Amino acid sequence: MLDFDRLTQVLTPLGSAMVDVAVIGAGQTKYGNHKLGLKGMWAEAAENAFSSVDKDFDPRQVDEAFIGSVAFGGAQLGNTAALLTEHSGLDGIPVRRVENACASSGFALRDAWMAIKSGQADIVVAGGIEKMNDLSAERKRFWLGVSGDTEWERLAGLTFPGTYALMARRHFHEHQSSHDDLVHISVKNHMHGYENQHAHIRKQVSFEKAESGFMVADPLTLYDCCPTSDGASCVILAADHVVQQFTDDPVWIRSSGAASDRLALHDRPSITQLVATQKASQLAYTAAGISSNDVDLAEVHDCFTIAELIATEDLGFAQHGQGGSFSREGQGILNQGSVCVNPSGGLKSKGHPLGATGTGQAVEVFKQLRGTVEKSRQVRDAEIGLTHNVGGSGATCAVHIFGRDKNE
Amino acid sequence: MSEHHRWKGYLAVDNGNALFIQSPYLLDGKIVYGSDSDDTTLAIAAIQYMKKQGHLIDSIHLPPTVEASTVFLATGVDSMLNNERLEFEQVMWNLLSGEEATMVLAKTEMEEYEFENPIDIELIDGQFYNDICDAWAQENSVSHVSQGAYVSESQYLEGARARLSLASQKLDDSLIWPPRQLDSSGQRIPSESHALAGEARVESWTKLSAAGAPSEFSLRAPILGGIQTLLVRFEQGPRGVFLVCDDVDYSPKIGDDVEFSVRRIYAQEGVIRYGLKAYPKP
Repeated sequence: MLDFDRLTQVLTPLGSAMVDVAVIGAGQTKYGNHKLGLKGMWAEAAENAFSSVDKDFDPRQVDEAFIGSVAFGGAQLGNTAALLTEHSGLDGIPVRRVENACASSGFALRDAWMAIKSGQADIVVAGGIEKMNDLSAERKRFWLGVSGDTEWERLAGLTFPGTYALMARRHFHEHQSSHDDLVHISVKNHMHGYENQHAHIRKQVSFEKAESGFMVADPLTLYDCCPTSDGASCVILAADHVVQQFTDDPVWIRSSGAASDRLALHDRPSITQLVATQKASQLAYTAAGISSNDVDLAEVHDCFTIAELIATEDLGFAQHGQGGSFSREGQGILNQGSVCVNPSGGLKSKGHPLGATGTGQAVEVFKQLRGTVEKSRQVRDAEIGLTHNVGGSGATCAVHIFGRDKNE
Repeated sequence: MSEHHRWKGYLAVDNGNALFIQSPYLLDGKIVYGSDSDDTTLAIAAIQYMKKQGHLIDSIHLPPTVEASTVFLATGVDSMLNNERLEFEQVMWNLLSGEEATMVLAKTEMEEYEFENPIDIELIDGQFYNDICDAWAQENSVSHVSQGAYVSESQYLEGARARLSLASQKLDDSLIWPPRQLDSSGQRIPSESHALAGEARVESWTKLSAAGAPSEFSLRAPILGGIQTLLVRFEQGPRGVFLVCDDVDYSPKIGDDVEFSVRRIYAQEGVIRYGLKAYPKP
């Protein structure tokens, strides 16, 4: 068993001492079906991030880069980061690909944050990329399952729709939640994403339509599943002593929490909660000196609607087992409850280019906290934002807390 | 007097000293296998039946169409096909394969067998049968390069005993399955020494559409109308995920009790991978 108290003791000082870290720029491509290849998409995301910096910024000032990617399809599986950074003015610096399945760039962000925290770097790029829609359907289905437990789960017919379907049915059984609760999440995220110009699926979905979607993995329908998207995202982090060279309006990373869990569902004590999310978020809350009640907006990893329902419990927005009523009551809807869940549309509507998702969430929070998203989906009075990026069915998780202010 | 049984999806006729076992499916007057069965899975079911009746079977003569190492891993019964050091005279049991999907399991000393005809034979749809046979032939071809999850032969064999016989590791007072390597103090967990009970309880389930199934099932899932997977808990504690047998008409519910039968899972690089699949406890 993992010793949570020990983890807290080990990791808390990183979030509360040493150098403070800010996001000074952030950008992404639109998510969806891209004509651009890897190099083109990354260049576009990097260009958008560079140009979002308020004052003069030169990519040659960057000390190090961390790029999250699953390298979906096997294209440039090795040395992905070196290829991408050479096409974005970041030649010569230490770079590497970070791989933790769908949480790859959540961990790239964490690594970048730690590089500055440690004092080894002042300006670091964290990003992510995935090109998913240029593969045959057969090849795509192979790659969609490579991050699960291959030897046991996959040979029992499970890829992620299947594992999350098992979680959903068990949650219904244990907590009297229902598929209707998942439908509310789908409708909400499509409503939010409709307003997001970077979203993959900008389409409102009615309850009736989402309720009766094509069954993918019973009880999950097509409207419970995120799309496969192409996309890239990029954020630029800076140490507090150089921040003012670049902006007077930084967004501070108040903490980073991360954890892991057993890869296969059957090896976990419970399949209706993600222990990695619980640990990562508690570490992050503790280090930031806040509680879940203080969060104004959360970009939550809703690869499937049941993933968001469970995340709202694991992140502390709802009591354990009450994610269904949280959804049913519309508590995550923009400017309706105490926390807005997935104002970008989440993975469900904004899209899920695996390796790009984590830093893509950070792009959204950066813009929300600076008040620069489309007005129609701006979270009112947003001071604190959270990103929650999960790898696989919960084997890895990174949670980051961002604020308009530094930690006190 | 022969006794008729449904056993692990097959029809068994037991005359006390020998067993006649066959697939329950008939096509054009000929007994044929269901969609995930073959000589190997039938042989394993036959041996498991006789062992359950109290017969001591250490070794057996197998027909060449049976995959001997899979039989050994699933049942612990050795054969000359699996073990070159085994001598002919040492082997006390014969498994004889019929021309159709039938077998007889008897002691080597027996020369004649008499069985009543099995009951409960079902007609199988010819189109379905031909489609599934074509899919297996294509999947099992060495030229078929699977885009599926790559479980190498050595990785498959490393977990095969646990997969086929539910062999589990004992650590303190609990059993561990599937097998693990080091414990939380960094000590190696002893290798598998105990078998889990052959039944378990359903904790969750799903049915995947052909579009939602992993690519290694892509040839067969459309023919089968999707595949079903159960998450189950064994009485001794461990949990596992299992496909439901292809030919079982079963709508699972949480709390159901299920048993297991060795069946084909999929084929890769010309090698059929076997494993346990679930069916509802009779």
